[in-house]
Amino acid sequence: MADLRRLGRRGSYRLGRLGAPPPAGKPPAAPHYPAWAPGHRGSAGLWLLACLAAAAFIAVGALVGSWAIPFLAGLAGGVASRHGRWRLRVALPAVVLVAAAGWGAALWWLALRGLPEGAVARVIAALAGLPAQAAVAIAVTLLVAAIQAAAGLWLGRALGPRHPAG
Amino acid sequence: MGRVFNVLAALLVSAAVLALFALGYGPVPALGRALDPGHGAWTSAAGGQPAHSQALSLPGLAHPVTVAFTSHGVASIRAADDADAFLALGYLHARFRLTEMDLERRLGEGRVAQLAGPAGLSSDKFELRLGLLRTARAEWAATSRTSPAGQALIAYSRGVNDYLAQASSSGEWPSIYGLTGVYPGRWTPVDSLVLQGVLTQQLDYTTTPLDYAILERTLGPAHTMAWFPVLAPGQHNPYDPGPYKDRGIAPIAPQAGQPVLAATASAGAVKGPVAGPGPGSNRITPQVAAAAAAILAQTDALPAGTIHQYPDSNAWAANGPKVAGAKSMLAGDPHLPQTVPSIWYQIALSAPGLSVTGVSVPGLPGVLIGHNAHIAWSLTDTQNQATLFYTERTSKSRPGQYFWRGAWRRMRQVSYTIPVRGGSAAHLTVDITVHGPVMTQAGQTTSVDWMGNIPSPDLAVMLAVNRAHDFAQFRAALAGWRAPSQNFVYADDQGNIGAISAGYYPLVRHGDPWLPMPGTGADDVAGVIPYASVPQVYDPPRHVVATANQRPAGPSYPYYIGTSANFFDPGYRAGEIYASLQGRSRMHPADFAAVQLSLTDRLAQQIVPPLLAALRGGHLTARQQAAAALLHGWNGAMAQSSAAAALWWTFWGDYLDAVFGPWWKAAKVPVHKDRAGLAVSPQNQVSLDQVLAEWTTADPANSAFSPPGGPHRTAPAVMRSAFATAVAHLGATLHGAPSSWAWGRLHFRQFPSVTQAPALGYGPRASGADPWTVDAADGGLVSHQGPSWRMIVAWPGHGTATGEGVYPGGQSENPASPWYSDQMADWWDGRYLPMPPAGGYAAGPVLWSLRP
Repeated sequence: MADLRRLGRRGSYRLGRLGAPPPAGKPPAAPHYPAWAPGHRGSAGLWLLACLAAAAFIAVGALVGSWAIPFLAGLAGGVASRHGRWRLRVALPAVVLVAAAGWGAALWWLALRGLPEGAVARVIAALAGLPAQAAVAIAVTLLVAAIQAAAGLWLGRALGPRHPAG
Repeated sequence: MGRVFNVLAALLVSAAVLALFALGYGPVPALGRALDPGHGAWTSAAGGQPAHSQALSLPGLAHPVTVAFTSHGVASIRAADDADAFLALGYLHARFRLTEMDLERRLGEGRVAQLAGPAGLSSDKFELRLGLLRTARAEWAATSRTSPAGQALIAYSRGVNDYLAQASSSGEWPSIYGLTGVYPGRWTPVDSLVLQGVLTQQLDYTTTPLDYAILERTLGPAHTMAWFPVLAPGQHNPYDPGPYKDRGIAPIAPQAGQPVLAATASAGAVKGPVAGPGPGSNRITPQVAAAAAAILAQTDALPAGTIHQYPDSNAWAANGPKVAGAKSMLAGDPHLPQTVPSIWYQIALSAPGLSVTGVSVPGLPGVLIGHNAHIAWSLTDTQNQATLFYTERTSKSRPGQYFWRGAWRRMRQVSYTIPVRGGSAAHLTVDITVHGPVMTQAGQTTSVDWMGNIPSPDLAVMLAVNRAHDFAQFRAALAGWRAPSQNFVYADDQGNIGAISAGYYPLVRHGDPWLPMPGTGADDVAGVIPYASVPQVYDPPRHVVATANQRPAGPSYPYYIGTSANFFDPGYRAGEIYASLQGRSRMHPADFAAVQLSLTDRLAQQIVPPLLAALRGGHLTARQQAAAALLHGWNGAMAQSSAAAALWWTFWGDYLDAVFGPWWKAAKVPVHKDRAGLAVSPQNQVSLDQVLAEWTTADPANSAFSPPGGPHRTAPAVMRSAFATAVAHLGATLHGAPSSWAWGRLHFRQFPSVTQAPALGYGPRASGADPWTVDAADGGLVSHQGPSWRMIVAWPGHGTATGEGVYPGGQSENPASPWYSDQMADWWDGRYLPMPPAGGYAAGPVLWSLRP
């Protein structure tokens, strides 16, 4: 319906718009906002606690020589993320960070005990033919943990329970 | 369907990732294991911690042993018997130098590729062909298990294995093992003897006859022997001036020669005087030259420093009026490839009957250079020809055979399988004739008769030297030394000094040994110089004896010991040492130290005056005049800040090139086949340095100054031209005024890591010195060889020595350790550290108690 207050004003109406109102069309699409964790199960606090426990588990595993723990943690994370209805864009950074934090914590622990981990990092980088910077060896080490965790996550999600969309 | 695909893809990728991280692929190590913070390469951090006092249990010890460390990690071992002392030494070597020991062992045993991958294969094939492992096994087979050497080797190996067991149980390996996943195997006495072989190869194995073959084929025999004569012109400053006595030929010890060299053993009965080689029968055919090039290509692929190239070590002693506050004094600075860690590990050993302090070689029991309670000694390389090549007569109709002494003989064959990391194993079959291993069958089947392949009881000799009380015992002990031939310089607490060039000097009755010789029998090694006739002196009347790798005996010496191209030092360093010592009296250790650190280049002192005279006869540009002014009044010191030094060095290289370059070019000398042995450059061809110096001062119209087919030239004209070239070179390289052309802007020292990882080495760092200074720097503008240990020992009284020494680097090979390079600054600045006393105890903050 036309707005009566605008009748008689310049530009208030156009030819062909004085009849019955046009049929209602589709409503405009709602604006898209990314949903990081819509509808996940369990409280975020518990999930965070689980991540910390996983990082600690990975760190202890590294210190006792179980280098494949990041993969197993990723695998478990994959299954859990399916169960918990976490999206990949949330689960992937989470397991990668947890794995890297686990191995990083192991290195940190050794350094705290007085071992010259920084100097050794430089040696490892040099022997590997990489730029002889401690940060390079540390980054590659954490990357190895992260790659394992990512592969494990993929496998876990592939094998994990399927839920209806949502 | 999509889910199945997803599961399969995830499984596949997971398996691939796990397999890659668990097993590695090709050159990529097993990254999961390698970088596991708890058990991979990171565990080497434990070895980087500062050492602290502790008690350790070492299986195999009979009694408790104490080890005291100085603040620089120099250890003093006190044990109740020899076996415990050597076991403790093996443990210390392994704990602080395992990577170095294992890499040397791999080099000698042809197992580099197992660690380094296909890149190490050429080295492995060369070493297995040459036969260090075969020789070490023969040496061990000839060693009585109850002899001092046998017992020392067994105890030492046990100590190394004690550490390997500890590392295996704790997982705390050096980084290179954690990273590659290839761990060292158990240590055996044969491994120690292989290391002895590696050292012998570095000091004694040369390819000079192969270079001669190529030079003779290209330059022609006349020019080759004129420019690379047996005896070079000039002053050689021999330490043994004679008179000499011809005592005929001594046999090669049958018990040693038989396992490897049946032919030489059979020649053992030969007697009679041999003043030198007979008339040459060697024909250098294209096939012989091709074989020479093929063998040179093998050695070209070896790691730097693997075979002998540079002649620089110094050792001297003085007594009587030459010294003050002491009855005698000795100085030694062996020049070897400079690496981090160093080839040396400093140690003091104490047990009943054994009190010795000095430097040891990781992998070997005993002290190689040092002093005990009564005598001190140091070594320089004798440089005599110890490598002879033989061209074998073969026939296509008789595969696997060669003709020798009138009959066809079957070659002995030895097969090896070489593991290659990241690749399939390689197989190698080595043919062996009476002369030695066949090094190539390209062109002409050629074998090598190398004195280093004769089992040599070096360890037994060194243990006897470690215990000697006087010169008679010292000299008697060295009678058994065969290879590498070394000049042993001596000083004792009674005020006596001396030197002996111990070792085998092979002699032939026929042929030119500096060329590949026919292998049909007539030119075989007939024996060696009798021990009584090798160069030696005892208490010389001038109260000084000095060796700096110069020819040890004078021109009238009745035996052939090598040519001018066989790396005898031109004598410039020896001349400087003698000039410094003979001109003084009442010297103290500080005076010896000043000589060890001398940067005076006597060749420069000899050549600069005629150069300046030549320049006065020509027109110089303003820049050339400024450059020439630098040389006026220059004392020949190759100081880092000296522009004259840079100008001199550049000039000498350009001068050599201006004289010999046209001849090399016209003859098409294939320099690329062996740059070290064929290229015209300073020090590469010490013979050319000597003949050119001689012509410049005594024969300036020598025909060699006129290039082939070119105009007539004389030395002054060529010097002016070379000087102009040098100034242009430096102007283009360093720019600015000639006074700014400091030698340190051109010349550096570098200490590569034994792991070959560039970042773990030291340098390059700007440095003074050159190959002809007493404080020598070898290897070109980036020197990698020089004084590897500086030591001075004074004997103020009976049984009382004061020793000081330093080497570049540190006691630990772990780059994370505070003992990795803590002595570098002292070495660089010319400071010395007190040596632990022989039989005493180093005062230090760390004490280990080793328990059985």
